[in-house]
Amino acid sequence: MDDVSATGGQRPAYDRVVVTGLGVFSSIGVGVEEFTEGLRSGRNGVSPITAFDTTGFDHANGCEIRDFDPAPWLRRWKQEELGRTAQFSVAAARMAVADAGLTDEELRARRVQVAVGTTDGESQDLDRLAADWVAAGPETWDPETARRVGAGRLSAAVASEFGLTDSEAVTLATACSAGNYAIGMGLDALRVGDADIALCGGADAMCQKSFSAFYRLGTIAPDFCRPFDKDRQGILTGEGAGVLVLERLDSALARGARIHAEVLGYGLTCDAHHPVQPNQSSIARCMQLALDDAGVAPQDVDLISAHGTGTRTNDVTESRAIRDVYDSAPPRTVSLKSMLGHTMGAASALAAVACSVALTEGFIPPTINHRETDPECEIDCVPNESVPARLRVVQNNGLAFAGNNAIVVLGHYPADSDSDSDLDADADVDAAADDVARS
Amino acid sequence: MTGSDKRRPRLDLIGWSATSPFGIGRSAFAEGLREGRATATALDHEQWQVPAGRACLVPDFEVRAVLGKKGTRMMNRVTGLAVGTVGELLADMDRSALTPETTGMVLGTTGGSVQSTLDLTRGSLSGERPFHVEPGLIPYSVMNGAAGQVAIWHELKGPNATLAAGRSAGVLALSYARRLLLTGRAGVVLCGAAEEYSTARAWLARHTADPAAGEPLLGEGCAMFALAAAPADAPPAPASLVGVKAMTCSDGNWAAVVRRCVEQVLRDADAKPTDVWAVSPSGAAGPGGDAEQAVAEELAAAGGIEVPVAPLVGEGHAASAAFQLAAVLSRAETDERATGRLSLVTTTDEAGTVAAALLRHH
Repeated sequence: MDDVSATGGQRPAYDRVVVTGLGVFSSIGVGVEEFTEGLRSGRNGVSPITAFDTTGFDHANGCEIRDFDPAPWLRRWKQEELGRTAQFSVAAARMAVADAGLTDEELRARRVQVAVGTTDGESQDLDRLAADWVAAGPETWDPETARRVGAGRLSAAVASEFGLTDSEAVTLATACSAGNYAIGMGLDALRVGDADIALCGGADAMCQKSFSAFYRLGTIAPDFCRPFDKDRQGILTGEGAGVLVLERLDSALARGARIHAEVLGYGLTCDAHHPVQPNQSSIARCMQLALDDAGVAPQDVDLISAHGTGTRTNDVTESRAIRDVYDSAPPRTVSLKSMLGHTMGAASALAAVACSVALTEGFIPPTINHRETDPECEIDCVPNESVPARLRVVQNNGLAFAGNNAIVVLGHYPADSDSDSDLDADADVDAAADDVARS
Repeated sequence: MTGSDKRRPRLDLIGWSATSPFGIGRSAFAEGLREGRATATALDHEQWQVPAGRACLVPDFEVRAVLGKKGTRMMNRVTGLAVGTVGELLADMDRSALTPETTGMVLGTTGGSVQSTLDLTRGSLSGERPFHVEPGLIPYSVMNGAAGQVAIWHELKGPNATLAAGRSAGVLALSYARRLLLTGRAGVVLCGAAEEYSTARAWLARHTADPAAGEPLLGEGCAMFALAAAPADAPPAPASLVGVKAMTCSDGNWAAVVRRCVEQVLRDADAKPTDVWAVSPSGAAGPGGDAEQAVAEELAAAGGIEVPVAPLVGEGHAASAAFQLAAVLSRAETDERATGRLSLVTTTDEAGTVAAALLRHH
């Protein structure tokens, strides 16, 4: 913490931040194992939407989590006390903490930053309030539902689930890049020494509000989401949650935690340009900031997980911004939204989990539903089939309404440079094994 | 470790403004506070479809009257409040010293505009086709709509964040701004919080009112602060941020958590209760607010003054902690006894958040 603005590569072990736990609820799999299998096999999470009455829409596919059951994951909360989005955030946090091998008591003994990103907050409850208003007026609202709609509860409920006291819980309401904002917040809370552990990610639930809005903008695809395809027709809304446990490297090593990946850095920019149209130079600037913070050069990056919504505008603007930063030679660039749909505030958190999986499992998840790459999107999107790959550094893009760009860079742990350091014996052995495997 | 590390730059509050039930701008806020003016007025029921009652509204605040007609056709009230307040704040600052790319913007909220969100969905439910929603409403139906518009209006291209934390949002926005500065992600951060009065919010408040306290008198508005990392040799601004601490009340024992949070933020600053010149609690109804009040009275008994805000401007929800910060800054400007001493702002929110901010007056 001598220099909290130092780049990732210049940091001592006590000041590096790693991912030690993952929790994931998605339409292609619940839990890291199932999610990994979904990513590897290019599973399509799409099905007809059931969350609301879709009568009157010409098409209404989405990526829902069917048969979602939070009950096994809730210890202090009762399911009926939480809306669906908070059920997602709390259940994913529970899963991530279990994956990290931390007990509630161990968490309570630490300072914990909770950061949950969201676009629509407790959206199914809000849909219900709107429906009751139309049917009979707001005087008929259910008080329990009304009590649940404050978006701050998505994060506060996580802190309460573990019985935490010394915990700053914040909900980041920065729309579709909010998951990356939350990871960045966790990283900074650890870097400046405000927290010992961060539980960060994003959550959103399928809702009529969001679907209607995107439909009105002409951005809902009729069948599948086809990012970077010349015939792409837009997004499919989805739902879910991803939560990551972050801690400093020395803390992870001291407790013998399994390390999934290293959080090398992140960047934030704001377009200050248009509420819903992306801005190429602002996105490029965000990538550059993220790479600088991570202490890596573009040629060090092996994979980009694009925001990749599958709309005409996003995919062209984003791929051009990538080519700007990568001097027209970008690494392979995939869109997880082809499989997961656009899970809004959960999107970049789920993508970060996927990036972590890609780093540890050694494969690149594909961009599915792909037929022919749009010549205006000059990237290799790894169509339809995952490919084995030894990855060192992965960049995860998150872009959003209001021009809120947030990009996170994750690295393989141990890093190449760790092989000649004396972090600890295990890390050296792992790094040596990696070197052998590569040669 | 929370916020007083000696090796770190001093974080100066180099400007502030407020749009409040006292009126538009910093001087209106200072004057209303000094006079202890109550601001509740009878509601116009043509504008607000709520039961007969009173609220503390920003007087004569109509978005298009205040900001003009360009780019404001569909702008909702909370966005107008935020855009207008940041405009007032920037008018008092040297804009040429601000680089758009390194100027951050952090806005606290409860849930954006619940009114705009519900209006959009109501349009879907009652339109001829379910996608016949008003497109101009879409950016405002998302919680970060206001912060995005502030960025566009005032050309702020640095980190732009919206965080939802109910009544504690103003203090948590300050915490987020502090980290953006300490990590070098921004050189100056405009941060604060905004809440609008609306039909939807009034009904939410009515349905969720604490039965013992009754329906709250609602307020609204926005207060924004410019926070900057001071160069080592810079003369101090009138006030600096010493520390921020947030905790969670998970077990219903608000008194213990509020006390622990206040003790922690003082300890991190190596400060004693007698160093506190002013304390401003949220004034919230219920056990959280009661716990804050008890701590505030103890600090007042130890030689501080109490700066209540909610009794004058109403329950401001997301705006409330921002108004409390504005209030202690405003009072310190005309009270030389503040010099060299500290102000403490405390806040609690029903979701479980307990937070405190500590400022030093120079």
